[in-house]
Amino acid sequence: MHRLKRLLSMAFVLGVLPSATALAAEPGISGRVVGPDGKGIAEAVVFVQSPVDSASAPTRPRAAMDQVNKTFVPGLLPIVVGTEVRFPNHDQIHHHVYSFSRTKTFELPLYKGQDARPVLFDKLGAVTIGCNIHDWMSGVILVLPTGHYAVTDENGRFTLAGLPAGAYTVAAWHARRRGKLEETAQQVQLAATTPEITFTLALEPARNRPAIHGSRRTP
Amino acid sequence: MVRNARGVCVTHAVFLFFCCHLIAPTAQAQYDVEEESRVWLRAMLDVRVVRGGNDPSWTDGGPGKTRYGGDTSSERVTRLTLSQLAIEVGATLPWNVRAQAQLNLQRDLSDNDEPWLVEALLRKEWGKDENGLGLQLGLMSVPFSLEHVGPAWSPEYTISASALDSWMWEEISLAGAEGEWWHVTPGGLRLGILVGAGFGPDQLGRVVAVRGWAMGDGLSGLNADLLLPTGVRTEIFDERDDRVAAYTWLSIGDAGERVSVRVGLFDNFGDQEVAGVWHTRFATAGVTIHPHPSVDLIVQYLSGEARVSSPANDSSLRAYYALLSHHRGRHRFSVRYDSFRVNDLDGGTVLTEEQGDGVTAAYFLQMGLRHRFGLEYIWLDSRRPTGVVPEPSQDGWQLSYRFRY
Repeated sequence: MHRLKRLLSMAFVLGVLPSATALAAEPGISGRVVGPDGKGIAEAVVFVQSPVDSASAPTRPRAAMDQVNKTFVPGLLPIVVGTEVRFPNHDQIHHHVYSFSRTKTFELPLYKGQDARPVLFDKLGAVTIGCNIHDWMSGVILVLPTGHYAVTDENGRFTLAGLPAGAYTVAAWHARRRGKLEETAQQVQLAATTPEITFTLALEPARNRPAIHGSRRTP
Repeated sequence: MVRNARGVCVTHAVFLFFCCHLIAPTAQAQYDVEEESRVWLRAMLDVRVVRGGNDPSWTDGGPGKTRYGGDTSSERVTRLTLSQLAIEVGATLPWNVRAQAQLNLQRDLSDNDEPWLVEALLRKEWGKDENGLGLQLGLMSVPFSLEHVGPAWSPEYTISASALDSWMWEEISLAGAEGEWWHVTPGGLRLGILVGAGFGPDQLGRVVAVRGWAMGDGLSGLNADLLLPTGVRTEIFDERDDRVAAYTWLSIGDAGERVSVRVGLFDNFGDQEVAGVWHTRFATAGVTIHPHPSVDLIVQYLSGEARVSSPANDSSLRAYYALLSHHRGRHRFSVRYDSFRVNDLDGGTVLTEEQGDGVTAAYFLQMGLRHRFGLEYIWLDSRRPTGVVPEPSQDGWQLSYRFRY
């Protein structure tokens, strides 16, 4: 029994060590996204704009934006360009998912469960997702040039892990940001240490359409 | 005209260049999220080819029970008609208050081209889908119909709603306030309690007692009036006794809404001492079941009574239906059985007795976000042994094209 435990422990250590070593060798970039008042901004996306990954993935990346309680989950989904996104509907009611965004125009007619076909996002940009039945349902898919991105937590913190040493252009995006995306871009030289960078974004006030819940909502 | 060496029209090329430049999103535009407008406008247009039974419809002063019937010589006719033009406007107001209003143009129901104001209300919510409170003020109908859940309050499963739910939107329109609490328990039960009160439905019950039940998809409102077999029109929103009507709607179901049970009570507390006021009250209960994500099963029952002093037309009302709908991709198939009764309670000169049954089958084809084609067949058998209306028994079909903006 003891021998078995020791073998399992060794296997665990041998399995974990290489990835831990790799992480140590690729420190990444971390920092915060804050407003003009210095308060952290949640739900911002910090991503590597360049260099773009040259090696193509062996399989097409996949992601999902679910529908739960008349809400898109997650409400913000960053993906790398070329990702196929599924839109499962875990509500017991129908949704009619669509987007009129220039980056990607599509629609998934009334469905429940897993019936909808996956959608390929093959152009860079932000795609606003809506439901034709429930007009307050809104989600955003952010199609990015690289797979190196992170969504800020409630304190505005982010970490771009797993980056090899090198020079990077990093940008910060938020659905309600003012100004141009390019103005947020920062050049970062990544060496052995993890550099801390800060993005300052000014946001427009929230303009979500008021939802209808309870008995008056459309099932 | 200037041409370059390859013979391409330069002005054409310049034009194309500008077009491409305008169309191609800049990096900035690419990553922009379209802002939601604070004001929105939606519309729905429903055009139909209809062929009803021999009897003219009640909307033409005849005994027919469906919205479209035969001509005045009791011959079947095929008609092309604009069934509905609905305009919905909404706005986000300060403090996250939602304002919305709906106008419906239904020329066969009204006696002119005046659109009816179906709803105009303000709504404020606190909380989320799992737990919250809602307050609503304005002109509205009651939320009792389990079928009128489509765009612009249209029936979702068939073109014509059941007799029970047709009546809900035909005769009930009130101006008042409504409060609601909803909650999902840790055990996964979804509970809802809604209480409302308002003015306006003082003649509620008159249409169903005098005319009997009917099946259609018309929506009434503030300025609506409906034709009775006697040839007069009755106003739907008509406050006469200054008494408040009250209603409640209780719901319980699982959090995933596979099964939900709803119970509604309504009483207009009509003062029969006031001329023309009906005292109408009813209870309704409904069950919605989704045994499979693509299947909807709905059963709803209503029982009530409508009383009026002069002329006496006291009647008890009873109706139920069972609807089964299957949805797959762009296709929806639905079938429904209806049963409806009116029992005369006073034995006066005008007997309101009615017994009826109906079967409806419908198929919808949704084409993209905007277009829907629908085909519906209704067979119904209504028996009014005595009274002003003979025995209308008919069948008919409708082919509908609906455009949603």
